[in-house]
Amino acid sequence: MAIEWPTTCLEVIKDDPFVIKNPKTWYHSHSYGGWGKFFKGLREQKLLATRCTNPKCSEKRLWLPPRSECPDCWHPMKWAEAPQQGTIYTHSVVKYPGELFKLPPDTPLISLEIEGVCTKLMSWLKEGTPEFGMPVKAVFNTKKPTNTILDLAWIPA
Amino acid sequence: MIKFGPGNLRIPRFEKPVYVVAGGMTDFRKQYWEKNSCQLCTEALRMAVEENDLKIDPEQFRRSVNWVVYSQFADHFGDQLLAAAKVHDYLGFDPLGNIEVKTGGATGGSSVLAAAQAVASGYANCVPVVGWERMDDVSTKVGNSYIASAACKDFESELGWMYAAYYALMAQRYQYENNVPHEALAKIACKNHLYAYYSPFSQSPGKYTVDDILNNEIVSDPLTYLECCAMSVGASVIILCDEEMAYKLSDQPILLKAICGGTHTLRTADRRHMPILLLPNETEETYKDYFSGTRQDWPGFSSFLASRMAAYLAYNMAGIKDPVEDFDLLETHDAFTISDVQTYEDIGLRPYGRGREFIESGEAYIDGKLPTNLSGGLIGTMHAVGATGIFQMVEIMWQLQGKYDRFHGDPKMWERVGKKKPDDWKSLQLKNPKRGCAISHAGTGSHVTCAILEMP
Repeated sequence: MAIEWPTTCLEVIKDDPFVIKNPKTWYHSHSYGGWGKFFKGLREQKLLATRCTNPKCSEKRLWLPPRSECPDCWHPMKWAEAPQQGTIYTHSVVKYPGELFKLPPDTPLISLEIEGVCTKLMSWLKEGTPEFGMPVKAVFNTKKPTNTILDLAWIPA
Repeated sequence: MIKFGPGNLRIPRFEKPVYVVAGGMTDFRKQYWEKNSCQLCTEALRMAVEENDLKIDPEQFRRSVNWVVYSQFADHFGDQLLAAAKVHDYLGFDPLGNIEVKTGGATGGSSVLAAAQAVASGYANCVPVVGWERMDDVSTKVGNSYIASAACKDFESELGWMYAAYYALMAQRYQYENNVPHEALAKIACKNHLYAYYSPFSQSPGKYTVDDILNNEIVSDPLTYLECCAMSVGASVIILCDEEMAYKLSDQPILLKAICGGTHTLRTADRRHMPILLLPNETEETYKDYFSGTRQDWPGFSSFLASRMAAYLAYNMAGIKDPVEDFDLLETHDAFTISDVQTYEDIGLRPYGRGREFIESGEAYIDGKLPTNLSGGLIGTMHAVGATGIFQMVEIMWQLQGKYDRFHGDPKMWERVGKKKPDDWKSLQLKNPKRGCAISHAGTGSHVTCAILEMP
């Protein structure tokens, strides 16, 4: 029995040089692993961070984004709620976002200082115009969550 | 790693001296559909072997190679896993051993580091480093998304899917802390687009004024298009040897005196406060008044600890006391104007907070004390990522060998890439340069290498 030629043709974009279009339509499964609790916490309007519990570890900082294991001693960390207020550490308005961006261009991006948290979480400002040192408070996308970090945003406090 | 122990700051050393003897490159374009990646790499290798006054013929060279390092950033773009195996085959190097290195934007620097480690240890004595990138398979918007997947995909990529935005956040904070006028940043873009004008290999040459840069469209506030490097396709090659092989191959080998790497968190968010790691030209007195007003922490968002770490190790390895005094030329990874000013401080050209002085003083120009990015850099000439760190070192090697004019001024070199040499072309060859430095940089400072090349 002869095998038939394939029926799927790849479109030719250009003849010389010979360039074809190679479409891809599948998805990747992405597990948040041990960080899943943080993303599910956003649905319950919780800002979940982690802190090391190893008595021998000198660092007792609150990490947000959370880490499952302490980068200073490699022991498991414990979940704790982070404050839902902070100040704007830096900001920018992205005019030409890349593909996959789920928010409109001109969305202000911000990095935050949160008291007691050792990091400067990157996020976005849902209302208002960002300024250095501006007090902001967290808001959560609970109605139709994207299940990404975009479910957390900030508005002027 | 924030509290250093003695082992963490051990100064690297080579068991044997390492040399670079030859280099080659293609021109760089936004789209290069005329040639596939194997062809681009072959072209760069052929140029390295045939056009660098090697004392052996190409066939003898092939018989001298004993290890190859490949440098490509993103499998996403090329859509070919194990691409190095394919390039290795097309270059005719099978069955010799090879390794492919990936550290984002610093892939080129890290690949030369890996090759240097092989030569310095005696594992190999003739090692081509072959770098390339192919970023023209997808639209610019998808390309930006691919590049942003080199940010933390769980907590940061979603915020813009655009690397320029992550640098813009740093730019805003840097300007807030240090009160730097945007004009100072724009001068860097003017300089590098201009120097690219004299290079046949360049992708974004141009004679721009500061106003042109400032009035250009904004990508992510405050950075304009002309302040950012573009997607790029092309290849570059540099050949590393031990001393015996270097002098067998060349009458003008250049010593790779040091090459060292540093890292920092992929997320800018996670950069914890620490004391400033001091370079040989700094003391605690240098930063007596640094932490005040808007400057509360280091490295924060305005400094790259990875660059500082790489410079700290490389300067100590090479005996550099003061980079502005000791280097005759410099190639920085000017992916964005802001990262260039930050780097000036990280590598000790000026103390933290005063990076703008390096460009404003005129020192960074061809007739200044430390000409920087005479190649045109990333903003002007190329950022075909895997090729970039290699390209920088090839350009420095040619300067040290006195060959700038041959590779940039020969009308045939321009014709080869389908361009006409500008009537107002001028030579950027420095007079008897002795030592150059190249900074290769990834992410928002996730990996950085610092290489020091000098006349033996």
